[in-house]
Amino acid sequence: MAATATAPSRAPARARPRADSVRNWRLRQRVAFAAVWAAGLALCAIAVAIVGFMAVKGAQYLDVQTVFSHPRPGVRQIDTGGILDPIEGTLVLTALALALAVPLGVVTALWVVEYGRPRALARLVESGIEIVAGTPDIVIALFGLALFQLPILGALSFTSSGGGVFGRSFFAAGTMLSLIALPIVYTSVREGLTAIPAQMREASWALGKTRICTIRAVLMPRLRRPIVTGSVLGMGRIIGDTAIVIILLGSTPQISPENGPPVLGLLRGTGSTLTTFVYDASPAGEGNAPQKAYAAAFVLLALVLIVNLAVDRLVGHERV
Amino acid sequence: MTFHRLRALAAATLSVGLTVLAAAPASAPAKSLPVLTLSGATGSAPLLQLLIPAYLKAHPHQVRIKFAQGGGEVGIQDVAAGRVSIGDASRDPKASDPPGLKFYAWAKDAFCFDVNPQNKLSGLTTAQARAIWGGQVRSWDQVPGATVSGTIDLIARTSASSLPPLVSSILLNGGKVSPVANLLASDSLVENAVARDPRAIGYNSGYYASQRNVHALAYNGVACNLQNVKSGQYPGFRTYYEVTKGPATGQAAKFINWIRSSKPAKKIISTIAIPL
Amino acid sequence: MRAPWTDRQAHRRLGAVACLVLVLIVAMVAFVAVRAWPTLAHNGGVAWLGPGGSTDHQLGGMISTGRHAPAAAYHLRAWPLVYGTLLCAGLAVAIGLAFALLCAIFIVEFAPRRLRAMTIPLVRLLAAVPSVVFGLIGVLVLVPFVGNHIVSAHQKSSVQYVVELTGSSVLVAVLVLTVMVTPIMIAMIVDALRAVPASWTEGAAALGANRWEVIWGVSVRAARPAIVAAAVLACARALGEAVMIAMVAGGRAWAPNLLDGATAIFEPVNTLAASIVGQSEAITAPAVRSTLYAFALLLLFSSLVLSVGGYLAKLPMRRQGIRV
Repeated sequence: MAATATAPSRAPARARPRADSVRNWRLRQRVAFAAVWAAGLALCAIAVAIVGFMAVKGAQYLDVQTVFSHPRPGVRQIDTGGILDPIEGTLVLTALALALAVPLGVVTALWVVEYGRPRALARLVESGIEIVAGTPDIVIALFGLALFQLPILGALSFTSSGGGVFGRSFFAAGTMLSLIALPIVYTSVREGLTAIPAQMREASWALGKTRICTIRAVLMPRLRRPIVTGSVLGMGRIIGDTAIVIILLGSTPQISPENGPPVLGLLRGTGSTLTTFVYDASPAGEGNAPQKAYAAAFVLLALVLIVNLAVDRLVGHERV
Repeated sequence: MTFHRLRALAAATLSVGLTVLAAAPASAPAKSLPVLTLSGATGSAPLLQLLIPAYLKAHPHQVRIKFAQGGGEVGIQDVAAGRVSIGDASRDPKASDPPGLKFYAWAKDAFCFDVNPQNKLSGLTTAQARAIWGGQVRSWDQVPGATVSGTIDLIARTSASSLPPLVSSILLNGGKVSPVANLLASDSLVENAVARDPRAIGYNSGYYASQRNVHALAYNGVACNLQNVKSGQYPGFRTYYEVTKGPATGQAAKFINWIRSSKPAKKIISTIAIPL
Repeated sequence: MRAPWTDRQAHRRLGAVACLVLVLIVAMVAFVAVRAWPTLAHNGGVAWLGPGGSTDHQLGGMISTGRHAPAAAYHLRAWPLVYGTLLCAGLAVAIGLAFALLCAIFIVEFAPRRLRAMTIPLVRLLAAVPSVVFGLIGVLVLVPFVGNHIVSAHQKSSVQYVVELTGSSVLVAVLVLTVMVTPIMIAMIVDALRAVPASWTEGAAALGANRWEVIWGVSVRAARPAIVAAAVLACARALGEAVMIAMVAGGRAWAPNLLDGATAIFEPVNTLAASIVGQSEAITAPAVRSTLYAFALLLLFSSLVLSVGGYLAKLPMRRQGIRV
């Protein structure tokens, strides 16, 4: 129990009354106070240490030549080339996954919020999105492998001479990565929709417009910011995902397109991304190139941080 | 954006995209190239990673080659199931292999016991190797000649590799490897692990020992290198085979012939192993 | 679109697209279950979750079985993996929850304004770091440090006939996993602490409670549903973590024996998700394939259970008006 309050505090509600000093607290509470401060400082220290360490290692091992040259098989780390193909792979996969996730997420959110009948179905769809959000990415990866090894989808990857569908390609990885971004886009668009006041819709209906026309003319222009926010948030998760890419992209260090027109051939082919490159170059993968792993990890971390900074700019500083 | 603007934008994007796709085949190769897929042994992977670019340079625009690893046993199963065109094997054919496979030998390579460079042990006898790998001797203090002390960390290969049975039968005289050993999935991972741990001992291709990250042990007094394999003094060697289902045909046959008999291929192979 | 859509048409068409999510989930369960079926059938349902022999040995034997593997090839006893998963996830969530609670209290109540302004972006930063970067730091910095400086020669020799201690261990895995799941929990708990009505906290303060008693006795009590929900969310993340564990935990299907005392945290471990990543190259062998899909089925099932649990845990929060 604190000492009796002396003078009433004239400061705003959350200011400390002068009598409530830590020295007057019980021992247990003082220990807890110390623990809380220790935890807070430890958190800051860990975060700064991780970023600082990666920055130091990145500065040590990353140079312009590494970023812009192709990876090559080599014995010594000096000979193993650069990380251009992984960077390209990351960009291609992000573009493909977002191209699939954004329309699907927007349409789903529109249907659930604007239509949403039968109610049970709408709730089911919402639960479905939450289930997809909670599924481990390794399970999504194995599902993608089973899906893309179907003979029907053989055109989306490479088919070997014995008739086995390879099932691993940019198409496969991109489609499954879109499932990672889907719940994020959906949540962002749904929040954006519920934030639009009902009067806007009612005014449009009162003028005789149909719901779909209202969506197109009144709601969509106001959804630009939530869609962009959701996409950028989803982008951050896609760039950082490793398990799906390891299983579904075929792990060739260089991008190796299939036969066919340039874009389609590329998407049917295999390659690598920054995440699989870091995994392969680390002592856990085939390669023995920790320096290249640090360089690629630095680029990866920098990309992810830039994406998160962009989200900060878009959303403002209200979120924790 | 109004609907009409959106529609105009979509039409413009579509037409630009189709034009690009239509124009592009003019710059792409005139016909689509056949694809050769290889998978299998990790021991021969450094060799193949040098041979494949050389083959493609010598035969441009004829074929595309996809190369994966996975271990010798995986390679044999893959080619038997038709998943790849050529399997890389690193052991002689066995009776239990799937029927119909043809093995084409193309190189011989040594396999050695490796220790960390801090451990100046010069070599092991058969009895010592059996005791260490079998798990009876667990401390470097009990191994004369070792310059590190403490528990021995055994690093072996998984069953996806063809190397464990060879090591057991040839270097350990039929002795088994203790279940205590850490199992790793490729020869380069074994090299990494041994290079990082002063108390480790592992086995992999002689190629890795020559890279100076690990120190190869002599066996019964005979150093593990290619000269001793050629002279027959060092017993621990294996043959690399290219395996096809049925006799090799077409691009696969061309590739296999090239690595077995062409001069540039033999030159590349002899930097790391022994061409046949 | 010649004529504009009527509402009924739009409802149907948009609804069809929206239901794609449901189709996907059903397809996911179906595909994974079908591919996992051989392992389940040959091992009598759930017996494969039990103990019995070395899982690594069993997986190794599956690789060289060909297309038509005999029934014996599918034999599997994956208890060490299940135990490893529960151990790593459980420890990480337990430690992380305590850590996150303390950090959340720090952010909401005790941090000076400038420090709070710095801490919040740092939490978001930690949440955004990819797991492979955590794994890289773990395998290149923590594992050698633990292996060379923390594990003593005596500890290594005490278990030398059973397992090798190399630094890739439960300790490193749980440590890094804790750091990975804590930011998620911090965000949720801070939201909930801030949503406690001011009248409650001010009322408590007016009755003479000091700052700690207010935050602990009133706010944290009121935020209990959020804490449970955060723990469930962290559990889901920890169970599904594959790549980081594959890099730092030693990759060996081993059930650390807690009776070994402190040495147990230095023993290697492997989880279901990490062994899927580790064996992914051998997935072409049919027996290995159905085993890995059986692991995935188990992970899918547990994530479904956790989703339901999370939903139930969030119900009281929704009633209080906290946005989840």
